[in-house]
Amino acid sequence: MRRALGILALAWAGFAQAQTPPEATALLRKIYQATDKLSYTGIFVYTQGDKSETSRITRVAGEGGGVERVEVLDGPRREIVRTRDSVRCYLPESHTVKVERNDQRAFPALLPERVAELERNYTISRGAHKRIAGFDCESVTLTPKDDLRYGYRLWADVASGMLLKAETFNKKGSTVDQFTFTQLHIGSVPRERVRTREDARNWRVEDAAVTPANLAQSGWIVAGDLPGFRKVIEVRRKLGESRPAGQVVYSDGLAALSVFIEPKSGRAEAVRPGLSTRGAFHIYTREVANHIVTVVGEAPAASVQRVANTVVFRPPQ
Amino acid sequence: MVGVKEKISAMMDGELERFESAGALKALEDGGEGRESWRTYHLIGDAMRDTRVLSPGFADRVIARLKEEPTVLAPAFSAAGLRARPAARWSALAASLAAVAFVGWVAFLPEQEAARAPQVATVLPAAAPRVQPAADTMVAPPDTADDYLLAHQGYSPRNSFLGVAPYVRVSGDTEARRR
Repeated sequence: MRRALGILALAWAGFAQAQTPPEATALLRKIYQATDKLSYTGIFVYTQGDKSETSRITRVAGEGGGVERVEVLDGPRREIVRTRDSVRCYLPESHTVKVERNDQRAFPALLPERVAELERNYTISRGAHKRIAGFDCESVTLTPKDDLRYGYRLWADVASGMLLKAETFNKKGSTVDQFTFTQLHIGSVPRERVRTREDARNWRVEDAAVTPANLAQSGWIVAGDLPGFRKVIEVRRKLGESRPAGQVVYSDGLAALSVFIEPKSGRAEAVRPGLSTRGAFHIYTREVANHIVTVVGEAPAASVQRVANTVVFRPPQ
Repeated sequence: MVGVKEKISAMMDGELERFESAGALKALEDGGEGRESWRTYHLIGDAMRDTRVLSPGFADRVIARLKEEPTVLAPAFSAAGLRARPAARWSALAASLAAVAFVGWVAFLPEQEAARAPQVATVLPAAAPRVQPAADTMVAPPDTADDYLLAHQGYSPRNSFLGVAPYVRVSGDTEARRR
């Protein structure tokens, strides 16, 4: 009887998998490819809660990855330039450049061929057409199969696959945050448009100095046993000016959580254990073995807390 | 006749004899004004001691959870016991923190050095003691939240379809504060 039930469950799972319309996954692949292949420049609005902020984004496609630059147009000036192997964040008000160098071998970009994996944790379906910023868009919705992640709704230009709008929603169906283009030009862009305008020669440089690591060897065990999530990277790095930290990233292919472990000594700022929110992120802080453990994620509070609570320190043998 | 509020206040301060507490406890049990006073006095006490205030409805949630417990063991209420307990708890905590401070530094040595570092495993339980935030405490985000967001963003698979756009969520606030 139990075996019969098992077979039935398997058959049902197979059936459920087959439910994803191929044109929905095809659209996802098209979006990923467009993000990788196109050059464009445009204005987008980021909305979170009752706050919204306008930015200009420019991308120049090239061999082995493009160069992208985003300038925030509201509030304090800041600019981010991303190349194939680094991200530079320019903060003119404090004359600081924050540098993150990506280790290409470890960079967990979601490859188009991995799209199918998303079906394990999300129901993927096609949505209604919509016109956005003058572009005729088709849409795809990824509805989570449990409460451990958010859902996503994406709208992309029918002709090119360029993403015009992305919305994150919670289990109640309310919007957590969204990116929407209000103006977009797709096509070649002069290269100087992706170079920073800031003269940062005398600015302070904060290099994250990321190196691969195995934190278990120094006694840190992060189980991260969140269904559907797996460890994508484990590094040592610097946070801010020079705080040494370990970082472990978990992802389900779309949502991601970072676990940061840093020594408590040398922290000038007050540490507040507990759950907090920053925009669409949940942040959970606790203390383990005289270290501060901080989990940051674009995921429901319960997921962030659950991962944080798996962290233990066992002195290395 | 002494009012319910005064009785509760006196009980919280440990100034009631055991038999006198019964009336105050009854008032608490009945809810209404008695329980409201209990909450208010605790709120005042917490504010004076600069203790973080529990989120609204905390007591109700605790009661709801207690009701779900298979057996509820009600310890005899003793003001003296209550006063004695926190001190004992804190000294135990201090002792465990001292033990942890002793081993904590090993964690961020480069791996080879950590392997050579003096081993203290035998004196520690498998899971090191730690200060746990209350499950339902909401706090202000860390002052260095931006550092975490920037460090996290580089590994977010959403970059694969949003490109560099999600980075706008790193606000630069931390830097502004440092200036």
